[in-house]
Amino acid sequence: MGPLIPNGIIPEDWNYIIAIFIGFAFGYILEASGFSSSRKLAGVFYGYDFAVLKVFFTSAVVAVIGLYYMDYLNWVDISRLYVHPTYLWAAILGGMVMGVGFLAGGFCPGTSLCAVAIGKVDGIVFTIGLVIGIFIFSESFSALEPLFERSNLGHITLVDSFNLSPYLIVLVFTIIAVVAFYFSDWVRTKVKKVFY
Amino acid sequence: MSKSYKLKKVIVKTEYKFLAIILVLLAAGLVLLPKYEKHEGINPEILLGNAVSSERYISTDELAEKIINQDPSFLLIDVRDEESYAKYSIPNSINIPLAKLLEEDSESYLNQDEFDVVLYSNDNFYANQAWLLCNRLEFKNIRVLNGGVNAWYSTIINPTKPTENQAVVDFDLYTFRKAASMYFGVSYLDQVTSPTKKKTPKKVVTVKKKKKKVAEGGC
Repeated sequence: MGPLIPNGIIPEDWNYIIAIFIGFAFGYILEASGFSSSRKLAGVFYGYDFAVLKVFFTSAVVAVIGLYYMDYLNWVDISRLYVHPTYLWAAILGGMVMGVGFLAGGFCPGTSLCAVAIGKVDGIVFTIGLVIGIFIFSESFSALEPLFERSNLGHITLVDSFNLSPYLIVLVFTIIAVVAFYFSDWVRTKVKKVFY
Repeated sequence: MSKSYKLKKVIVKTEYKFLAIILVLLAAGLVLLPKYEKHEGINPEILLGNAVSSERYISTDELAEKIINQDPSFLLIDVRDEESYAKYSIPNSINIPLAKLLEEDSESYLNQDEFDVVLYSNDNFYANQAWLLCNRLEFKNIRVLNGGVNAWYSTIINPTKPTENQAVVDFDLYTFRKAASMYFGVSYLDQVTSPTKKKTPKKVVTVKKKKKKVAEGGC
């Protein structure tokens, strides 16, 4: 049956309208989880709050388990879902830059917009910086392009890289998630409590 | 710490453990589910829809009209073996024997959006097989010449004259078919204008027109 839009069950024109509603819902969940506070986000790095890790890891695990059950029941054809291409070295380098920005500014791009929405000044400043960053990156893209092209591995997933059953990968991923939750709780008990 | 606070803490902790166990069990369930071969290619309902669609067949009259009007929008493909093709084929057809249908060279003709593909064999049998194979592979615009070469011969090349008590449409159809057969090289006694009195038997001439081949599809 699914995916609904590529299979023509929902007309293509609804794409953006649905995207806007999913965006609202995503923004609401971010804000409701407290992610518009930069101190909560930075807590992952300092070890006093792991809500970010828990929320994102849980959503990923729930989504992947749900999708594979739906694929098994023929509700969704998983091979027809869009997989973003992997630019290996570009992603590693970009991830490092983003990590530094995350730690220094206390937001990731999505949560900074959440902070803007509730009127936080640090969020507004961060977003201005984000736009400047986008501008610099876009202007220097021609210099960076070879890095992108050389490390483009195409639309691959862990299933293609390891050549294992996707179900096994889902199980391992879930176990890693549960262990990570347990470990993060353990770390939190060892770190001095911060009230914010 | 009050007693109720402690109790709440215990409940929250066990609840999370419970949720974690559910997640792991669900993931393990995926691994343990009995595996089955997924159906690849076309959806059975769509295949059935294509099979019963009237669009699946093209009549010999429609085909003759297309050839005479030099319609550039279709490819005529003979799925019989090379020997039969060499012996007789409908003008402008390409030979792709059924056995070679799935080869790479054939795919550029069959798997494209530019032309309608008309398949034919001696009757419908092999052409239908080829049609089914192409449909399973989700090739587009594949049609079968209804009746194949046999129907082509009995309707276009050698049409039967309607009897006097038949409807006028039958006579119109006969006129069209007769004209078409003359286009394809059949000569009729009443049309021969040569002064020779010699009785020319009704003769079927098959003409192999070396018209330019339709451009290759694909790519």
